[in-house]
Amino acid sequence: MPRLSVTQRRRLWFFTRLTLIVLALAITLLPVYWMVNTSLKNQVEVFTSPPTLWPQNLTFANYVNVFTRRHLGTYLFNSLVIVGSAVLLSLLMGSLAGYALARFSRLQQKLNFWVLAPRMIPPIALVVPLFLMLQEIGLINKKLGLILVYTAFNLPFVAWMMRSFFQEIPVDLEEAAMVDGATRLRSFRDIVLPLAAPGLAATAIFSLIITYNEFFFALILTSTPAAATLPVGTAALIGKTQTLYGEMAAAGVVAAVPLVIFALLVQRHLVRGLTMGAVK
Amino acid sequence: MARTGEGGKWAPRLLIAPTVICALALTVLPLGYSVLTSLREFPLGQSPVFVGLRNYASLLHDANFHSSLGTTLIFTVVATAFEFLLGLGLALLLKEEFSFQGLIRSSLIVPMAIAPVVVGIIWRLLYGADVGLFSFAVQALTGKSVSVLSSTTLALPALILVDIWEWTPFMFLILLAGIQSLPQEPFEAARVDGAGSWNIFVHLTVPMLKPVIVVSLLIRALDAFTVFDQVFVLTQGGPGTTTEVATLMIYKTAFRFSQFGYGAAMAMGLLVLVMFFSAALTRAFKSSF
Repeated sequence: MPRLSVTQRRRLWFFTRLTLIVLALAITLLPVYWMVNTSLKNQVEVFTSPPTLWPQNLTFANYVNVFTRRHLGTYLFNSLVIVGSAVLLSLLMGSLAGYALARFSRLQQKLNFWVLAPRMIPPIALVVPLFLMLQEIGLINKKLGLILVYTAFNLPFVAWMMRSFFQEIPVDLEEAAMVDGATRLRSFRDIVLPLAAPGLAATAIFSLIITYNEFFFALILTSTPAAATLPVGTAALIGKTQTLYGEMAAAGVVAAVPLVIFALLVQRHLVRGLTMGAVK
Repeated sequence: MARTGEGGKWAPRLLIAPTVICALALTVLPLGYSVLTSLREFPLGQSPVFVGLRNYASLLHDANFHSSLGTTLIFTVVATAFEFLLGLGLALLLKEEFSFQGLIRSSLIVPMAIAPVVVGIIWRLLYGADVGLFSFAVQALTGKSVSVLSSTTLALPALILVDIWEWTPFMFLILLAGIQSLPQEPFEAARVDGAGSWNIFVHLTVPMLKPVIVVSLLIRALDAFTVFDQVFVLTQGGPGTTTEVATLMIYKTAFRFSQFGYGAAMAMGLLVLVMFFSAALTRAFKSSF
């Protein structure tokens, strides 16, 4: 290999890098684009060979169909009720626990394990007993059943995330307020909470994403449109529509879009969320 | 940092009580119930019968369960290895300032935010024999029409590819964060001493990145080991049982064939394996670097 000058080497590296990055972007985004593309085609065009790279006869019929004929609206509503309630409940309880873990170190040493344990156990190990237990108290196929399970599952995550956010708020601020005569509760409400608000928002969006995308528990604990969530409804649709790829794609787009937007909103905290604070 | 203000000893305990109670209700209670279930049999239409360790005994001789564990292991090892290597490559590629860095980063993490069920749909559209872009490309290149998901040899690699597509961004993000948080001084010193890029990478970057590598591999491997959603949507374990991973087999046993006792026994077996593997993996990484 001939010796390259520093500028040549730099240029070569620049173009290699550029090519690799463009390739990675294409592999990442093309499949997603293909779903959007398919969702906007009519049934005939979906089967055209070679496939058309963009819809020749743009149509929204697939979107109309999944809502009018396939109950997608009902599943979406169930998802909103179940996910909303579970996220709210777990934020309420979990952030208090997170505060206690961040501020009382003795407590933290004793309880770390118990707060984290549920996160370590794979769902498959819990689903058989949970199904039987919920069946006994009549909560199978009920929104409430799934709300309870999701709340309990989110709690350790919320507590752990909020602990790491609370730890970043200097204790001095609280102490100063308490010296001035504020109770711990007041100093929590007036000083800590406003400072932790961005962290709270990020944690909320995270649990929202995890809960909204959850499929396994939802599949087993709900099955009818009375309580089934969007992922379960979408999966059921795959079986029913068979080769109606356009409708399948439209349902996929409806289920995916809001969450992708949310994920991009919390990008800054994504790493912390994914590793529960292990990597910041 | 502990402070006994007017809240006294009870305030913190009160704050944390609901979380710990819920955590216990979701771990100790179901796990206990699961052990109990695994010692029983559930004949249709009759009340459960206590059968002792019979379910566990059958587990040891169940060739289907063993082969599903094998499938799961292949899936986990291959997918995690590729995700790690590709993620590391991407992180190294994007660690320095670059135009449109924010936009590129955002685009690369899209697959991770999409619900696994929808990821299944996306790849159904690509793999489908009659419509798929992927199938079309294969046909154009080789002249042969293939139905990837119904091929006994290609279905598992196809599922692994889906997992790699969805979770490489996860490895990328975490490794990038790890790399960017490393202190700069050792690197500058090494460069001053004339060390090459490869040497710097092997002797500085990797050892310093070790904790992050361990965390990312553990999280991914554990998740891959209990993969369910994409397999359920794409192949349901077929063709035959070539892609039947352990969780799918447990699901079918317990919820399609109503053998709750045997399903629970399998789940307990899997849990023990998961705990064993994660302990072993953590230990191996702690000592190997």
